[in-house]
Amino acid sequence: MIEVINVWFTYPNGTIALRGISLRIRDGESIAIMGENGAGKTTLVKHFNGLLKPEKGLVLVDGINTKETSVAKLARKVGLVFQNPDHQLFSTTVEDEIKFALKNLGFPSEEIKERVDWVLKFLDLERYRERSPLSLSGGERKRVALASVLCVKPKILILDEPTIGQDAKQKRKLGELLKKYQEEKNTVIVVTHDVEFASKYFNRIVVMARGKIIADGPPNKVLTNPTILEESSLSPPQVTVLSHEIAKKINNFPKDIVLFDELLNEIIARLRR
Amino acid sequence: MSYTMFSAFEFKRKDTYIHKLDPRTKMFMTIVFMTVALLFTTIIPLLITFIITLIPILLAKSVEEWLNSLKGTTILLVFILVINSFIRDLNFALAMILRLIVLITAFSVFFLTTHPDDLAQALIQMKVPFDFAFALSMATRYVPTLAREAQTIMDAQMSRGLELQKGGLTQKIRNLIPLIIPLIVNSVRRALSIAESLESRAFGAIKKRTYLYQLKLKKNDFIFIIFLTLYLLLMIYIKIYSPLASWMEWKFPL
Repeated sequence: MIEVINVWFTYPNGTIALRGISLRIRDGESIAIMGENGAGKTTLVKHFNGLLKPEKGLVLVDGINTKETSVAKLARKVGLVFQNPDHQLFSTTVEDEIKFALKNLGFPSEEIKERVDWVLKFLDLERYRERSPLSLSGGERKRVALASVLCVKPKILILDEPTIGQDAKQKRKLGELLKKYQEEKNTVIVVTHDVEFASKYFNRIVVMARGKIIADGPPNKVLTNPTILEESSLSPPQVTVLSHEIAKKINNFPKDIVLFDELLNEIIARLRR
Repeated sequence: MSYTMFSAFEFKRKDTYIHKLDPRTKMFMTIVFMTVALLFTTIIPLLITFIITLIPILLAKSVEEWLNSLKGTTILLVFILVINSFIRDLNFALAMILRLIVLITAFSVFFLTTHPDDLAQALIQMKVPFDFAFALSMATRYVPTLAREAQTIMDAQMSRGLELQKGGLTQKIRNLIPLIIPLIVNSVRRALSIAESLESRAFGAIKKRTYLYQLKLKKNDFIFIIFLTLYLLLMIYIKIYSPLASWMEWKFPL
């Protein structure tokens, strides 16, 4: 569990990035953190694994104050995948790249092998095992970067903008993988601008603007609220736009729809009536 | 850590006497300060040189940035102090540290108060080919970008359990590999994409360029240059004819 209690954070250049954030993330949740550029999303997730320490307030990971532990110690529990894979890939083979975190965290060599095999299979990267991560395409590099963190099997997995540069098929695959990982009793947190991705694969949406949390709730409550969307420069999911348009013409048509299947069922149900 | 060190050499827009000087004047100033620092090897003259070098820093209202640049070189300063104390003696070591501080100060006042574009323009007007001047101004422009990138890479690798402070000396050096390789790879990638975007905007299409701004030496520049020249001549005179008063040769009794 992550508890964020009234956290403030200012960068050395004077930008106040977080203004009194409070948030409780229970085990096994799937959360998408959304909001406009510069809202403080990345700053907030960097607090979850202790890379940044709150200037005021507290961040507790399973009851441990992040100020009193190291990033390396937290890395076993909290995995953070950065936005740009090129900021972390450096090994000669994909396999070595994945081993890096496992060796740092002192796993025994047999377990390292098991975990490498598992993660390569889980992310469908087996055929790249001997390839240089730097020679792979953008989307593949992103998956290798994910693998290099996922191999630790962190109880809390955080991804910063995982869908950027991924085609529709890869995005779907990624969404399903994250869902699968979350169903194994892990917490998955993403930072994203992709409303469709967030509403489809995540149960809780946290919206940030100007260093504050302005909304927190299930997708069909948050991503269908025009005031929240406007304030955070997000555009609603296409399905929501459509349901709002239908609601203009048909009385009592629900507006809080974010998923395609929901909309479809609603329409079919009404046609049959 | 890395960022504060670089920020010491990063241009900051301020409205002061020094900022308004022509870059060529400031270049001359840096050369004069360097030369004078290299003339002497004893504490008192170098201390005097140091105090004089502080004047432009004070005039430029950049004391804080300058202190940051010194903070960044603490390790180097300590290293020089220790090595020289062993090889020669403490007096020599202290003098060498003063000399290095003067050199750092001379360069940092130049870079803190000179916009990279003005530096390029100054070089061009000094008949340096445009390509070289441009490359230099590009390089200075990318220093902060690189520093930020280094910080992000460090964060990313620490998130994968890398502990920079862990292990002995060789281990500590090996700990740097996961930082240096992404930094180099990204720099090469960036350089290639910059080259492409330069070419797509017709870089080098015309051999003879014209410039929107031309630098011109003003009254203040001439006053400054005269002072600097006098200072340099005086110091050379003192050095060569060595009319050093005995107190100038003062040393710590060891």
